[in-house]
Amino acid sequence: MIAVLLVWWSQAEYFGFELLAEIAVFAILAMSLDLIAGYAGMVSLGHAALFGTGAYAYSWLGGVLGLSAPIAMLGATMGTAAVALAAGAVAVRVEGIFFIMITLGFGQMGYEFFFQNSTMGGDDGFYGITRLDLSAIGVDLTAPASFALFTLAAVVVVYILLAWLLATPFGAVLRGLHANPKRFRALGLRVLVYRTAAFAVSGAVAGFAGSLTAQHTQFIAPNLLNWTTSGEVLVMVILGGLGTLVGPLVGAATLVFLRHELSGMTDYWGAVLGGLLILVVLSRQNGLVGALGALIRLARPGGRDA
Amino acid sequence: MLTDPSFWLVQGLNSLQLAMLLFLLSVGLTVIFGLMNFVNLAHGSLYALGALIGYSIAKLTGSVWFAFLLAPLAVAAVGALLYVTLIERLRTAGPLPQVLVTFGLIFVLIDAQRYLWGTDALGITSGIPFSGTIHILGEPYPAYRLFIIAVGLLVFLGLHFLLNRTRLGAEVRAGVDDAETASALGVPVERTFFLVFLLGCGLAGLAGAVAMPAFSAEAGMGISILVPTLVVVVVGGLGSLKGALVGSLVIGTTLTFGTALFPAFAGIAMYAALIAVLLFRPQGLFPARG
Repeated sequence: MIAVLLVWWSQAEYFGFELLAEIAVFAILAMSLDLIAGYAGMVSLGHAALFGTGAYAYSWLGGVLGLSAPIAMLGATMGTAAVALAAGAVAVRVEGIFFIMITLGFGQMGYEFFFQNSTMGGDDGFYGITRLDLSAIGVDLTAPASFALFTLAAVVVVYILLAWLLATPFGAVLRGLHANPKRFRALGLRVLVYRTAAFAVSGAVAGFAGSLTAQHTQFIAPNLLNWTTSGEVLVMVILGGLGTLVGPLVGAATLVFLRHELSGMTDYWGAVLGGLLILVVLSRQNGLVGALGALIRLARPGGRDA
Repeated sequence: MLTDPSFWLVQGLNSLQLAMLLFLLSVGLTVIFGLMNFVNLAHGSLYALGALIGYSIAKLTGSVWFAFLLAPLAVAAVGALLYVTLIERLRTAGPLPQVLVTFGLIFVLIDAQRYLWGTDALGITSGIPFSGTIHILGEPYPAYRLFIIAVGLLVFLGLHFLLNRTRLGAEVRAGVDDAETASALGVPVERTFFLVFLLGCGLAGLAGAVAMPAFSAEAGMGISILVPTLVVVVVGGLGSLKGALVGSLVIGTTLTFGTALFPAFAGIAMYAALIAVLLFRPQGLFPARG
């Protein structure tokens, strides 16, 4: 998948770079959502609020307080993790549709907060955000090509970190919690602590993605936090395949690319994407990754149906 | 401002009017939610559809009364189509597929509305009943807003009768209470759900048609009303008629007075109410299940 994006990068023009950076940012965000939704079974409809919190934190630390970009990125990541820890400690107490509702509530609270916040421009958004300066090692991130490559590198780093995390005992517990929370309670594990921790880690990654999108577009607005954005990220995860790390990558790339292409072709691209989402869900396959797996199994008669 | 009685009167009536619109929207959603654990995020889009269809009917016939009568029926027909093609398949699929499919449906319905009606806000200027102002305790107040309040109260009374005095109502109550047992005792739960779904869609259409003369109609107007409606459903209690009414009053008042007094915190107060209810009284203020 990364290889495909790298080949694309080597061939891309200006708009290609912009699109690639957008895909990379949303891939990181979608992976962070999949950590809680796919692995830990906590489907959130407020994830964009953590993304937006990271973007606003980066812009505030850098643009208002005048801190340097690396500190602002670190601060945005840790700050969002802290927000997610606080909200998560409350939200993980409920499950299923109620978890969806409570995360929606928290997310909309964040949206309202930045919508009304005059320091950060309120409804009008916040302009003039600067990017990380890597000129010390000879990289100019103001150039679209190098910024796109920088975000792709970030995708690789986040992927490796999450894959490592999921391979640790912590990751095993998360998956087990999803499968059978009662058993873990019986084993004496503190279920809520694990769920909160997963939510906070997911928030850190989402906040990091937010600090990247602020640098990419150099303009942020409250809509980053709105529940419809959360819904779109959820769609990316579902489109790619829930509970896999590749799925969110595939889903983010597919959705961002399709949206770009379709919006050039028709005014009604929303209907096409909405219809596609409905078909994917009704097909009962686990997204594109799941469908590909099913195809491979079909092509190998006699192969074990895993 | 706070010592001025007319402020309290006007904002109180505004709260009531918003509450009645929220009630018309949330009552259908809550019974669908409570009866079958089904989450319909596209419910707000049906409200927008009611407003737009109502606009066209009012333009064609020159009478808003036809719009009030026919728009709910048209939206219920769209609801029937959605039920047969999508909703029925998702009945037992769990919340995630339901949230996703109805989320996708939002975008399909918005684009359908944009295709048919364009993107401008559409309003009618003539043929609106109760278009004058009424003086209440010396304060001028738009009579049409009082009409919206009256429609909401009438619908509440009608539903109260339907739920407590008719066979369908008894079946709905049995289904909300325990769908499996009700089904085993011979209640046609699936058919009941279908009828309730149509009724809910029709009421969303009615809300849109009634709101249109006052607030105009626009593709996508369903998105902004959806979240407060969901909050009402959760705060009031899933599947509860009384809960939908009380929840609507709580949220309508919070939003109206919040916007007038603390504009920066009105929305936040509403979501805080949602979170507090989910944590401390997850069954809602007036749960349908005893």
